[in-house]
Amino acid sequence: MSTVIDRPPTVTAVGGGVDRPPVHERRRWGLTVVGAVVATVFLAPYVIMLVGAFKTRPEILRVPPTYLPENWEPGNFLTMWDTPETPLPANLLSTVVISLGGTALALLAALPAAYYTARHNFRLKLPFMLLVLVTQMLQPTVLASGLFREFVTLEINDTWLAMILVNAAFNLSFAVWIMHSFFASVPKEIEEAAWLDGCSRSQSLRQIMLPLVWPGIVTAVIFTFIACWNEFAASLILLPTDTNQPLTVALTRFIGQYESAWQYVFAVSIIGILPVVALFALIEKHLVSGLTAGGVK
Amino acid sequence: MATVTFDGASRYYAGNDRPAVDQLDLEVADGEFLVLVGPSGCGKSTTLRMLAGLEGVDEGAVRIGDRDVTNLPPKDRDIAMVFQNYALYPHMTVADNIAFHLKIKKVPKAERAERVREAAKLLDLEPYLERKPAKLSGGQRQRVAMGRAIVRRPQVFCMDEPLSNLDAKLRVQTRTQIASLQRRLGVTTIYVTHDQVEAMTMGDRVAVLKDGLLQQCDTPINLFGKPKNLFVAGFIGSPAMNLIPATVEGESAVIGGQPIQLTPAQREALTSSKVVVGVRPEGWTLKPAGEGISAMVEVVEELGSDQFLYCSTSAELAAADAADVDVAEAPHTITVRAPGMSAFQRGEKVGIVPQTGAVHLFDAETGDRLPD
Repeated sequence: MSTVIDRPPTVTAVGGGVDRPPVHERRRWGLTVVGAVVATVFLAPYVIMLVGAFKTRPEILRVPPTYLPENWEPGNFLTMWDTPETPLPANLLSTVVISLGGTALALLAALPAAYYTARHNFRLKLPFMLLVLVTQMLQPTVLASGLFREFVTLEINDTWLAMILVNAAFNLSFAVWIMHSFFASVPKEIEEAAWLDGCSRSQSLRQIMLPLVWPGIVTAVIFTFIACWNEFAASLILLPTDTNQPLTVALTRFIGQYESAWQYVFAVSIIGILPVVALFALIEKHLVSGLTAGGVK
Repeated sequence: MATVTFDGASRYYAGNDRPAVDQLDLEVADGEFLVLVGPSGCGKSTTLRMLAGLEGVDEGAVRIGDRDVTNLPPKDRDIAMVFQNYALYPHMTVADNIAFHLKIKKVPKAERAERVREAAKLLDLEPYLERKPAKLSGGQRQRVAMGRAIVRRPQVFCMDEPLSNLDAKLRVQTRTQIASLQRRLGVTTIYVTHDQVEAMTMGDRVAVLKDGLLQQCDTPINLFGKPKNLFVAGFIGSPAMNLIPATVEGESAVIGGQPIQLTPAQREALTSSKVVVGVRPEGWTLKPAGEGISAMVEVVEELGSDQFLYCSTSAELAAADAADVDVAEAPHTITVRAPGMSAFQRGEKVGIVPQTGAVHLFDAETGDRLPD
């Protein structure tokens, strides 16, 4: 018998020859290479940051620079908490409190707003929604002087509360819009069915609506939290006291006019991004879209 | 189980001058299957939603049994509803969907499971109890929606076009299942549909609505045999009744040269000299050309068991178009039923004569049926 018959016909059919790999195989390799290049470009700054955090101060300033630390210096992560530049433990606490508070407040206000605007028609609904959107378009720096005056009048200037309010307000429109679209995607009849099944409004919200819009809530929470965590401009202007300042502002204290403690800049940055990465990793699996599939028709 | 009463119930929508439901008076007996039927926008779904408490009642009252439920929230009305899109809870399994009401009412777990199993058995849903709605076919989802309603043993079932998302074959099958299930359970049922075949085949009584006004509520036979006005006459029956405007001269109205005798009572009831003569497609006798009203076959619809001939008629009928009558089809086209597999051809000339007793007479001005 001929050997040609033994060879699976698909190899020649899709591969175009005996020696060359099949088309889909080559395409997969091509994509892998492109993906690796893109990943390198995006990950390089993080790698430099991580490696830099382990260098000693003389080494980090050396020219030409070293790729990997000659002497690994994990002590940077310990000594950074007690430096003359900034009270880092207080800064971290400040970031955590402001981010959690801002996210909670934004969610608390956005959730009912999103539900109401998705479920009810009222006069000037569209202008209202557009107005909400406009607030997203203003830079925090544009509003800073006005906010400063306002907080001075309210006697909450230079407090966490002020920054919680600012962060909640800045992120409210995004949270309202994203959750509005999720609420609107749940057919009205599903909620009505729950009412007829004996649910009160709050029961139907808790047992039916919230599980269905959960991905929207998670998305809103993640983005609001990250925005609060990374907020810089308004904090710089509205929080003059160093113990109140968040990490983003504290980071700049390590960069002085005459010398900069780059090893601390990198180490603090690592601490700064870790919670965000952890948050993403934890709730990423909840970001499942299409949860309402099959409920209707 | 209970009676349902609409007592002058009206519903207005903001921005609309006309009420969506206008002074509806309707009594549904205990255990009765009542079908609300009418064209889009006639207020049938609004009526159902008013009963369910999903829509407010602006005037009048709605009662279930002796209870005035006009201002009660939906959860306190003891009504189960099947929605057009089924409205299943997508994040729950079939079993949880069916058991949701029992869970809310804190029915013990063992009883809950038992009742879900019973309902599932009744509806052939047992193999699917642990599936999510997304993994079910349209027909299965429809049955889950039914299961969610029957497991409750409510006082009233509300069904809002529950078959409209099924394909034609499944629709006919499910139609029969729902009707027999309702008879077996004996629960008062209000069923909304725009499909008059569904209405006629399922309902103990059928209520025909138009523009928010109840036109007629009667048994399917009476609705078909004695339509109260022109709208009901044109709406019920497929193909629709032929409605031919005519002028009364002396003691009879004349269509296509054929006199239709009016009784003294009919002449008495007329508000003008204009009448509309209604004859259903099966109410004509076909004659050779030259006898009766002369007509020409324009279209032949062969259904196997029947044949429908769409005929154009003489000019004098076409002239009657001018009469301002709300009729569904052009009055000079007459639909005639012939035995299936007949040899009629397009373009063939025939004569048609209305059968005795098959003629319905309506006042052209008011649209009301003239006394028999």
